[in-house]
Amino acid sequence: MAVANTSQRASSQFLKRLRSSLPWYPFIIINALVFVLFNLVPWFSMFRYSVLKTDLLSTREFIGLDHFVRMFTDAKLHKAMLNTAWFTLMYIPLLVVASLGVAILVNRPLRGMKAFRAIYFLPNITSVAVLALIFRRFLSPRPDGPLNFLIGLVGIPPQKWLIDVYQAMPSIVGISLWEAFGYFMVIWLAGLQAIPTELYDAAKVDGANGWRLHRYVTIPLLRPTAAFIIVIATIGALQVFGSIFILTGGGPVNATTTVVYQIYNEAFNFGRFGYASALSILFFLMILIIALIQSRYLRFGDDVY
Amino acid sequence: MSVSETSSASVEKPNLIRETIIYILMAAVAVTTVGPFLIMLSVSLTQNIRFITFPIELIPTPMTLENFQTLFARTDALRWLFNSVYVAVISTLGGVITSSMAGYAFARGNFWGKNVIFMLFLGILIMPDTALIVPQFVVLSRLGLVNTYTALIGPWFASIFGTFLLRQAYLSIPRDYDDAATIDGANLWQNWWHVLMPQVVPTMATLAVLRFMGNWNSFFYPMIVTSKSDMRTLTVGLGTVARSGGDAGLDMAGAVLGFLPTLIVFILMQRYIIRGISLSGVKG
Repeated sequence: MAVANTSQRASSQFLKRLRSSLPWYPFIIINALVFVLFNLVPWFSMFRYSVLKTDLLSTREFIGLDHFVRMFTDAKLHKAMLNTAWFTLMYIPLLVVASLGVAILVNRPLRGMKAFRAIYFLPNITSVAVLALIFRRFLSPRPDGPLNFLIGLVGIPPQKWLIDVYQAMPSIVGISLWEAFGYFMVIWLAGLQAIPTELYDAAKVDGANGWRLHRYVTIPLLRPTAAFIIVIATIGALQVFGSIFILTGGGPVNATTTVVYQIYNEAFNFGRFGYASALSILFFLMILIIALIQSRYLRFGDDVY
Repeated sequence: MSVSETSSASVEKPNLIRETIIYILMAAVAVTTVGPFLIMLSVSLTQNIRFITFPIELIPTPMTLENFQTLFARTDALRWLFNSVYVAVISTLGGVITSSMAGYAFARGNFWGKNVIFMLFLGILIMPDTALIVPQFVVLSRLGLVNTYTALIGPWFASIFGTFLLRQAYLSIPRDYDDAATIDGANLWQNWWHVLMPQVVPTMATLAVLRFMGNWNSFFYPMIVTSKSDMRTLTVGLGTVARSGGDAGLDMAGAVLGFLPTLIVFILMQRYIIRGISLSGVKG
């Protein structure tokens, strides 16, 4: 009798909970479906295909962990990893300095400042295709090409830019900087404007001025913003693809083949979807580990006061 | 927080020489960002121009729309433009509405699996999209969805980031509104649509602009899921134009076509874009 009562109570509670839950599911059903179809299923397929040798058409065989073993001896992959590191190491410091410099420059109550900020943001609203259409022309190796003409004005001989093995990657870095600095300027500005004016007043009372004001107030207080920007920009830099795909196709002689470009190559040029899936896992882990190390080392969101 | 004319700068005393130097520096940076766009426009209106050579006359004589005519005649540019508008509009509307719905459920609902689903969603946010592109293609090709609008729009029809953003917005609304609506006999849907949603419209507008720009400018994913020219979006199509090595006039006409829509949205919605970035630091 008692047992029946408890189970009855439990089942009526169950029904009650069910009744209060049900009306909410329609609100999340579309999100859930999209998530399952475009994220969850691909996630599983990534792991499943990483142990298959397949071109999605005729061949399909199980090869265990061969793909992961192959990564250790894949010279092209190693080159791609070095290229990705090279791109990121050039790009991040330049980006941080350039966007902070511009942010400090426009962070003052002068006339026309809003217009300047909007103008600096323009490259960021541009798609990679438009960017590539423009810069392929600007970086033309012809002596009378736009950039060669401009550097000629200060006496530098014409360069080959995108078709030179040593200049291709720095060129891509330059284009990426041009595209991104306005976006990060906005984030820096938000950080700068969150600094209470009283801190500057207090520092001035203590005798600080000019550079020392920035050294002891601005820079320490921007630390969380800097950490955020470095992590976000690095995750973006590691994934650079569009400009390289359109402008250099990974060349010349693999000089701009990044990890993402190599994954693309393996899948869509060589039809090795299994290996590309395995590389995707590697790439995901790479980003995750780098982002975790950075967040930890930069003490993301630490109290700085 | 908004990016306004306040701030640390008030510590510096106005000084004519200093201000002049600042204006010169700012103008120099402005020239490097606007210059390429002006040259793009100028070249697109120039007749028979194979290469961009310096020095250049910024106002071409005669001015012509020939390059645009050639672009529309030789490529599927009009079709790409249609595809882009169609995909971006449906993706934006869909993504914003579903984010609003799910954000409401996560802010107000109390249902089974809420926390588990929420953690799963959080997990996807940290997944870099490029790492998932090959598996996405594999799944879509097995489902026969390559070269379809479903593939182009699908992933954009829900936004995890947007769901978080709107959940925060709904959480900032006092529960009293819900209580009053319930007493008046409103069900969950009416409460969402008539009572709470009107109060988060600015957040939805911010999300809409970020999503529209993000979708319009996306390249890697739409390139992978389309192989037929007539299914490409403008950004992907223009990528093929850039690789095909036509003349400069044609290239710049394409660039103008790709740039104008985003410029218009930017001019109209600048406030929301800046708000979205300073709010989150994350693009659509």
